[in-house]
Amino acid sequence: MRLEDVVDSAKDFLYEFRYQKGGILGFILLILLILAAVFAPNITSPDVPERWSKEFWVENPPNVPPTWINYFSSEKLAPHEILSLDDMQVEELDGGGVLLRIVYKNTYDVPPKDIILQGFNVSSSDARNKPLMTITLKRPDGSEVVLIEDRKVSSNTVIQIATNTEVRKNVFEWAKKVSGAKLSPSEEIKLQALMDTMKILFGKADENIFEGTSPLHGDYVFEVKITYQDGDNTLDLSNLTAIFSGRTYGLMGTDSKGRDIWAGLVWGTRVSLSVGIAVAVLSVLIGIVYGVASAYFGGWKDEALQRFNEFMFSMPVLPILILLGAYLGHMALSQIVLLLVLFGWVGVAKVARSMALQIKEQTFVEAARALGAGSGRVVFKHIMPQIMPYAFSQMALSVPYAVMTEAALSFLGIGDPTAVTWGQMLYDAQNAGATINGYWWWVIPPGLAIALVGLAFVLIGVALDRILNPRMRTL
Amino acid sequence: MSFARYLGIRIFNALLVLIFVTFVVSILFVKVAEDDAKTRIAEVINNEARNPAILRLKASDPEAFEKWKSNREEQLRREFELDKPFWERVISKTKNTLLLNFGNARSPVFGEIKVSKIIEKAIPRTVLLFTTAQIIITFIGLLLGIKAAQKAGKFVDKLLSVLAMLTASLPMWWVGMVFILAFSFQLGIFPASSLPNPNLEGFAYYKDLLWRMVLPLITVVFVSFGGWAYTTRNIMISTMHEDFITVARAKGVPENRVIYGHALKAASPPIVTNVIIGLLGSLGGAIITEAVFNWPGMGRLYWVALQQSEVNLLMGVTYVTVALFLASMIIADVIYGYLDPRVRVGR
Repeated sequence: MRLEDVVDSAKDFLYEFRYQKGGILGFILLILLILAAVFAPNITSPDVPERWSKEFWVENPPNVPPTWINYFSSEKLAPHEILSLDDMQVEELDGGGVLLRIVYKNTYDVPPKDIILQGFNVSSSDARNKPLMTITLKRPDGSEVVLIEDRKVSSNTVIQIATNTEVRKNVFEWAKKVSGAKLSPSEEIKLQALMDTMKILFGKADENIFEGTSPLHGDYVFEVKITYQDGDNTLDLSNLTAIFSGRTYGLMGTDSKGRDIWAGLVWGTRVSLSVGIAVAVLSVLIGIVYGVASAYFGGWKDEALQRFNEFMFSMPVLPILILLGAYLGHMALSQIVLLLVLFGWVGVAKVARSMALQIKEQTFVEAARALGAGSGRVVFKHIMPQIMPYAFSQMALSVPYAVMTEAALSFLGIGDPTAVTWGQMLYDAQNAGATINGYWWWVIPPGLAIALVGLAFVLIGVALDRILNPRMRTL
Repeated sequence: MSFARYLGIRIFNALLVLIFVTFVVSILFVKVAEDDAKTRIAEVINNEARNPAILRLKASDPEAFEKWKSNREEQLRREFELDKPFWERVISKTKNTLLLNFGNARSPVFGEIKVSKIIEKAIPRTVLLFTTAQIIITFIGLLLGIKAAQKAGKFVDKLLSVLAMLTASLPMWWVGMVFILAFSFQLGIFPASSLPNPNLEGFAYYKDLLWRMVLPLITVVFVSFGGWAYTTRNIMISTMHEDFITVARAKGVPENRVIYGHALKAASPPIVTNVIIGLLGSLGGAIITEAVFNWPGMGRLYWVALQQSEVNLLMGVTYVTVALFLASMIIADVIYGYLDPRVRVGR
């Protein structure tokens, strides 16, 4: 084929492709997926794959739905927020010390799960004379609750308001006073152990405060007062963060380890696309070469190649892959690709052989031979160009199979544990009982993503088939 | 080539595949078992060395202690059959597997410890679920496929192609998870786990089993019927273009008889083969779908074996799956030969 021919046939192809609505839709989907895969570090953060399997994402709330469910439900849930020093008002105190004001605008029916203060950086010459911290909450109804009083601050101090024992005790005393309830000692112990600190702090101060059913909206001000004691104290607050651990998180919520599902979805496109395309291209190419070679050689070579093909064809792929996976413990992505290619070329080889057999007998091949064309020339110049259209559509149609098999292996827990894959996410979801706990945001998106990749390639493959194999059009 | 000879070659081929797969798998497993046995031996010896009598021996006579240790090791190696050469172990493992002697599982599954007994319990359940599903799918697929073939290019036909493409891109096991979310968690109609209640007996047990089968059944049918109808449609359309259909119509045969009598009869060999290949294909999806639903069949066994690293169980389940797969391929061949005389007489 000369270059002009290639350009011409590409033009023809594009002209016809415009009329394939499904193909265009598939193509748009594919471009979106590729964009997501390429710009994954920019869309989310570059360290996602490294952190994914190794650690708990402590700064995120576990098992919370996406933020946008607030649009669909009558009960508004507090989203996840992280405030840094820039979001706080800082005031230097006379006599050494600082006063931080953290303003939290509560318009939600369900308050944050927790508030975590961390990132104090204290250096003092004397361990006994560390700075002291007092946290006071000023509520919109004018009442004040002292949460923590004169607590020593060191560099590893992390205050978790919801679970801190001192805070719980103070809040309980305050709530008891406000509600005016008369409690027996046993009731008191029970309430103190079971109460939801955050719901009380963000609730209306009436007799029902312990139930935490009526939220109080408005501006809440947390005043964090840190005073230095005698001696050499320096306090660096530049790393200070206040995490309002949400009841909802981000675009897609979080899983049981607090991982951002959106980040997993975006990064998963990389694995899915690269495994799918690599397997499809490699196995179809091998199949075509195998089939054409078999047809071209003919005789006992053809017979032998076909026997081997039949042998491979009668092997059940998934059980054998599972066994190999179990033997290897975990399969790296490259191993999965290799194994899928190993079993993937068989069907293509069969069709390619029968196509090549037909083409081989046609007069133009005979003519070429009569003109003295060698085997290589006949195969690559006359047979291959006729088979390539089939190859392209077959490649597109093989991708969904590869993507689904990789997902299936990951779902069984024998996939690559270091990669962020959709199958792995569903495996984690299954193990955490996401379906019976109703964590839909953890179950539905990864599967939809798999289906989307499959659909994109099926649409493209069918469109290619219609254009490149015109016989299909009558069907 | 006569059909009997053709069939003979197919059966021989299938047996060859079975033996080859079993042999390769045995190599892998003997290796795994060897590592396993080595750690077990080290554990046993370490445990026994903590015995006071042995400790005293070690303090008084280190040489005797070493001798005891090597003796004990030798003895244990014989017990775990590590003294035999590697290939001998592989061959005996292959032979045992081919003869269905899979050994025991480490902890009981479905109340049985012997792997062959466990599989014996699991197979009927898998067959029950997937054969029922395949019958429903075939029925719906035939109806829809013939309708679409009659109205090729019309709305019904286009809708079917879109449906086939959409459902073909869905992983069956994920659809199962979504159905559990929707029907068990949100609506509370069906039980989330298909593991039958072991306390029931007789009629109540089967009623419970069937009730728990509904959701997996809906899942399998939902994912497969579109693609199946599409295949039927394609086969039917190419048959309807044949000359004998035109002749039948020209003769004035009623349209319904042309379709159900003439066309469907001629299209039946590829359709039947597709049913069987569909059954085989669903076996793959089935493995994971069963795991999602806790349906106590072969798929569930795979899941259990992988989660608890039950080496013997995994080996047994794989062997049986491969054997079933090969057997169904041969059955497909026989049926094809029966329905299509061209295959029988020679190609």
